[in-house]
Amino acid sequence: MSKLVDWARRSSPWLLHFNSGSCNGCDIEILAALMPRFDLERFGALLKGSPRHADVLVCTGPVTRQQAPRLRRIYEQMPEPKFVMVVGTCGSTGGVFRGCYNNAEGIDNVIPVDVYVPGCPARPEAIALGAVKLLEKLKNAQKQARGEK
Amino acid sequence: MVLDIFLGILQIVLFPGIVFCIGLTFLLEWIDRKYYADLQNRMGPLYVGWRGILQPFADFIKLMAKEDITPKAADRKMFTATPLFSVVVPLLALLFIPIANITGVLSFQGDLIFILFLTTIVAILIILAGYSSMNRYSSIGAARAGLQLMGYEIPLTLAALTPAMIARSLTITEIVQYQAVAGMSILLFPSMIAFGVFIITLLPELEKIPMDIPEAETELVAGWQTEFSGKKYAFFRLSNNLELLLGAGLAVTLFLGGPYGIEKLPGLTALDLVIQGNIVLSTVWYTVWFLIKTAIVVLVITNLRALFSRYRIDQMVRGAWRYLTPLMIGVTAITMLLSAVAPGLYPVV
Repeated sequence: MSKLVDWARRSSPWLLHFNSGSCNGCDIEILAALMPRFDLERFGALLKGSPRHADVLVCTGPVTRQQAPRLRRIYEQMPEPKFVMVVGTCGSTGGVFRGCYNNAEGIDNVIPVDVYVPGCPARPEAIALGAVKLLEKLKNAQKQARGEK
Repeated sequence: MVLDIFLGILQIVLFPGIVFCIGLTFLLEWIDRKYYADLQNRMGPLYVGWRGILQPFADFIKLMAKEDITPKAADRKMFTATPLFSVVVPLLALLFIPIANITGVLSFQGDLIFILFLTTIVAILIILAGYSSMNRYSSIGAARAGLQLMGYEIPLTLAALTPAMIARSLTITEIVQYQAVAGMSILLFPSMIAFGVFIITLLPELEKIPMDIPEAETELVAGWQTEFSGKKYAFFRLSNNLELLLGAGLAVTLFLGGPYGIEKLPGLTALDLVIQGNIVLSTVWYTVWFLIKTAIVVLVITNLRALFSRYRIDQMVRGAWRYLTPLMIGVTAITMLLSAVAPGLYPVV
């Protein structure tokens, strides 16, 4: 039974897209990753509107001071188990905004992050690879939890 | 006696009943998603099972295993009850649809009215679900669902009643048997218009894209479903799929001849006799034809979903009241007139 649930979790990662102060470059690339050429729906990914329905929070941007509490709230609204994927250099480290007075310098200073996809903007291939990496990571974690090698 | 009861329970639970219908909804959702992706030049689900055929099943299991959040502000009883009822009601209605036999599992005089009533109940459950979650987006979604119901309810009912008027019966079994003799009612004169209206009014009923105003993602997050997570959301998705099966099944039953296949064509009487003689063969034959016809209706709906973009709520309601309702009243009047003036047109069986 738990194997079935683990398989289901690996097979249908539903995305929620959140822009925490990005320049929209990465957001366009995320949409490109969902569009015909790359089509993340192959892995069962669907873009969802409500945080209550999503499994993976796809974040972009360096988290401006105004967006930080909202990002945390969106994250807390998602039901367990939930994962976070950061797209773009800004989201990973703060990027060109590092050292500015008005941002948190990266998503991982606000919420726990599972996968980083660097790039300015990150290419759709990289985003697809990031999604696959996330699913692999999940698979390994599930194996560990069951005590398999 | 005991065997009869046992077989009856088996019919309701297993074969044309609950388990089979739920499996069928997963299959139809997969067909819908694959075809939708194909129309958009995408691949669609690919890696879960053969060409992603297990994708809807995986989605369902995943949602069932997810955390189930009830917001503090929500009306707890209603919030828990509506997802359950919204699965049970379409399942009950599906028992009346003839799938594996020329009659449904349940059948009584005038059951068509009962089914139409049940489809309205589902819409009312949606409104209750939206209001019980006490979220602004949900409330607006529920209000829009109610407005939509005002718009499509009358044309939908009149469209479903047109073949009933042609067959001079409100019993689904008799409508199906009438079509076996007189031909599919989609081929008869005013009924084909009714079929078009039926398909159009199914879209708001199922909240498919040109009419998915209550759950408009770009405006309302997820509309009335916004606060539902985990099991409850899984039930709502299942309910929507069951409604898709119910709507397509109703279209097949009323307009496309029900589970009958090619054996009712002239010159194939021998085949018909063979099929009717063997109960296993007839069950398989009818089920396969029902599946083919349902899949065709689902593909038509998917096509419409991919072709159009969302209407505004006022456009939808105005369109329904200005065009669809008068059109359907006209079709109803013409049907009544024709069956009175030219009795040869719709043969009495």
